[in-house]
Amino acid sequence: MALGRFLLKRGIQGVLVVWGVVTAVFLLRFITPGDPVTFVAPLDASAELRAQIAAELGLDQPLYVQYADYIVGLLRGDMGYSYLRGTEASTIVLARVPATVELAVAATVVAVVIAIPLGVISATRRREPADYGATLFSLVGISTPNFWLGIMLILVLSVNFGLFPTSRRPIGLFETVAFLVTVENGLAAPMDVGAFLDGMRTWLWHIALPAVTLGTYFTALITRLTRSGMIEELGQPYVRAARAKGLPESLIQYKHALQNTLIPIVTVLGLQLGTLIGGAVITEAVFSWPGLGTLVINSINVRDWPLIQGSLIVIGTGFVLINIFVDALYAYLNPRVVH
Amino acid sequence: MSREDSDVNRRTYLKYVGGTAATVGLAGCSEGGGDGEDGSDGGDGEDGSDGEDGEDGEELPEPETREEHLQRANLRINQRAPWIFLNRQYSVYGIASRLDWDARRDERIEAQAISVTEGEPSVTITQSSMDSGLDPHDHRETPTDNIVVQAHDGVLGRNADGDIIDALATDYERLEEGRVRFEIRDGVTFHNGDELQPSDIAYSVNRVVDEEVGITSPQNDQLAGVTGAEVVDGGVEVTSDGINPIVFSLFASYCKVVQQDWIESRESSAINSDMNGTGPFQVVEYEQDVEIVYETYEDYWGDAPEIDELTIRAASESSTRVSQLLAGETDLIVNVPPQEVSRVRDEDSTEVTAVPSTRVVFNAMRYDVEPFSSVEFRQALNYAIDLDSIIENILQGFADATGQPTLEGFVGYNGEVDPYPQDIEQAEQLVEDSGHADAEITLETPVGRYLRDVEIAQAVASQIDELSNVSCEVEQRDFASLAGEVTSGNIEDMPHFYLLGWGNTTFDASQTIIPLLTSDGALSSYREDEEIDELMADSQNLPGEN
Repeated sequence: MALGRFLLKRGIQGVLVVWGVVTAVFLLRFITPGDPVTFVAPLDASAELRAQIAAELGLDQPLYVQYADYIVGLLRGDMGYSYLRGTEASTIVLARVPATVELAVAATVVAVVIAIPLGVISATRRREPADYGATLFSLVGISTPNFWLGIMLILVLSVNFGLFPTSRRPIGLFETVAFLVTVENGLAAPMDVGAFLDGMRTWLWHIALPAVTLGTYFTALITRLTRSGMIEELGQPYVRAARAKGLPESLIQYKHALQNTLIPIVTVLGLQLGTLIGGAVITEAVFSWPGLGTLVINSINVRDWPLIQGSLIVIGTGFVLINIFVDALYAYLNPRVVH
Repeated sequence: MSREDSDVNRRTYLKYVGGTAATVGLAGCSEGGGDGEDGSDGGDGEDGSDGEDGEDGEELPEPETREEHLQRANLRINQRAPWIFLNRQYSVYGIASRLDWDARRDERIEAQAISVTEGEPSVTITQSSMDSGLDPHDHRETPTDNIVVQAHDGVLGRNADGDIIDALATDYERLEEGRVRFEIRDGVTFHNGDELQPSDIAYSVNRVVDEEVGITSPQNDQLAGVTGAEVVDGGVEVTSDGINPIVFSLFASYCKVVQQDWIESRESSAINSDMNGTGPFQVVEYEQDVEIVYETYEDYWGDAPEIDELTIRAASESSTRVSQLLAGETDLIVNVPPQEVSRVRDEDSTEVTAVPSTRVVFNAMRYDVEPFSSVEFRQALNYAIDLDSIIENILQGFADATGQPTLEGFVGYNGEVDPYPQDIEQAEQLVEDSGHADAEITLETPVGRYLRDVEIAQAVASQIDELSNVSCEVEQRDFASLAGEVTSGNIEDMPHFYLLGWGNTTFDASQTIIPLLTSDGALSSYREDEEIDELMADSQNLPGEN
């Protein structure tokens, strides 16, 4: 019950945050230099034509009217129409979401799979070569700029050795999984396992380098967190008691100490996943990954505000949802936070 | 025609024509590179002191033809130095060695001209971005053009050198002032199998120029001065406001032909996600923002393309495009930056091909604010610049030096006008003469819009700063806000001193000079020069070759 109230409270806060994001993003367009009509109208357009285009885009209305229209539209799921493309902003924005989510999740998986064992090894073998190696890796990983790492990976692994494709996302994960849940005439059709496996292979082959690029900083961060958390836990009295009891060292490390270390790591993982959704711009650009980050940048360059607003609202909402999920998880793992 | 009518016509015409290049100019961007032709060392850009024509005050004969008017305007502009004249950009492409293709000057990639010497007859092109929708009349940027031109033909066309050639029209003529006629090719079919009708061509023209027909096309100024089209005796007659000396040139560059029934029976979203043209390739697959796949249209009226399948994709990062080419994932890439050229050249399987583009890069100076209101000061800045060094060191030779707004090969180019040479002493003396010694100026430049724009601006500012009596610094600007100020229509909103690039695919001087350097120019930083205004107005009322 207490957990339910806690989540309700978080949910209401989340709605307020999203509303704040919508409002802030909406107001940004009024303080940002650059008129969208510049990119839509012919440059020698008469004042009348410019006014007509501004009216068509709804830019001639007072601020409060535009804001009210926008909020009402959003509540109906309408983000407006892209100034340049003339198509619904929501269609364009939502089409980009899967690519961004896939990349963020894949980067997180890369980070977890590498960072946690590395952090544990580093903590349990302090001042040994493995610890120095892991610490050096963390330092390098945190210090390496994404764009440089991405380009280097492409040059070495794709161009020189031909192990991975240089870029692109020819198929999405959802499209791949769809081979297993095909429906024809309202009935379940036979699963196309061969197409699914081919799709998965293609998807994994293409996402590998972007995920490593995006996940490297994150990997380094989690490695450090795991190491310091483990060192702290391994010094706790319960660990000494477990050792005294004669429990195997691996059980002490991986079951007891690591489990306690995971609580802050889960929190950071959730927060970082939200950051990755909004912050993959450079990786997306380097690997031609058609996600939200590149859409935001391209739209800013031409002041296509419906696309900018739509993308930022989706990113902000994603961030809030992830935070609520993490809060719930944290409350589950550590019930004291509910109170 | 009364004098008043004539003036109104001139003014209207200047406005219309100015807009054409305005669209062309800012819509395209950062194309560049090319095969290191060096700028010539430049002769004497003299004198400009009093608006006399020739060097040393020599009286020149009155211009008679349209081309002579344009050439005289270019000479005058060189002398009055409203810009720091910089360079003509090159378009640089990376291409797989198995392909044979000549780059075009107008930056368009027409896949029909590509032949495959080895391997599968399928070709992938990677450009910097995908389309903003497939409606041939509802966009204004080069990447979308490259996607549309594979499936749509124009009334006229251009070859790789920019010369006008027949396309859907087999003959064209001027009937009278303000009216031209096109004879339409027989036996042409759209990709849906329907035959091309003259009414489709008239509809296409009207859809671009008339807001009442379908859409408010952002291309309406590309057909500057054109007021409408109608079918007369099986041909199409196009009307213009005034003589419109470059009307055929406009139709060679712009206005793709669509099928009226096909367009009118579809919603905007459907028109923007499929194409039904008469071109050599028809769309078989389209995924917005990702890729478009074409196959050869077997009933194409012209020579059949040598390739069976064409795919166009995008990668915004130039290094990614280069890596894709080197890894064999694509066959042709655009905008290879100078620093990446050697990577492409050094591979056996790839080559670099470059061609002078239709884009000129310059630093505009507002004529109405000090110190740029002084001709001597503007000339001094031109003398301060070592253009050869900028081209060699920053653009690695992939540019040509210019001394006039019109590029070589364009109608109106003046072969007698050379770029300003670097002459520090003369520059410092001219600054003293101008009365603006110790001036402090700021050059505003967009970031990443044109090939190495910031580096060029920094070099220019640093060379000016080396003068003992001027100091100059660079301010980097977001292109959208800089463009907003330049295109506001109000000169007082414009920056005092800024870097800009200007593309003009009509190959006619008027489309650069009128919008940028006349009193009525939509983006003009240089006004109230009666001689230039008169020369340009007269040139637009004289018949041209095109």
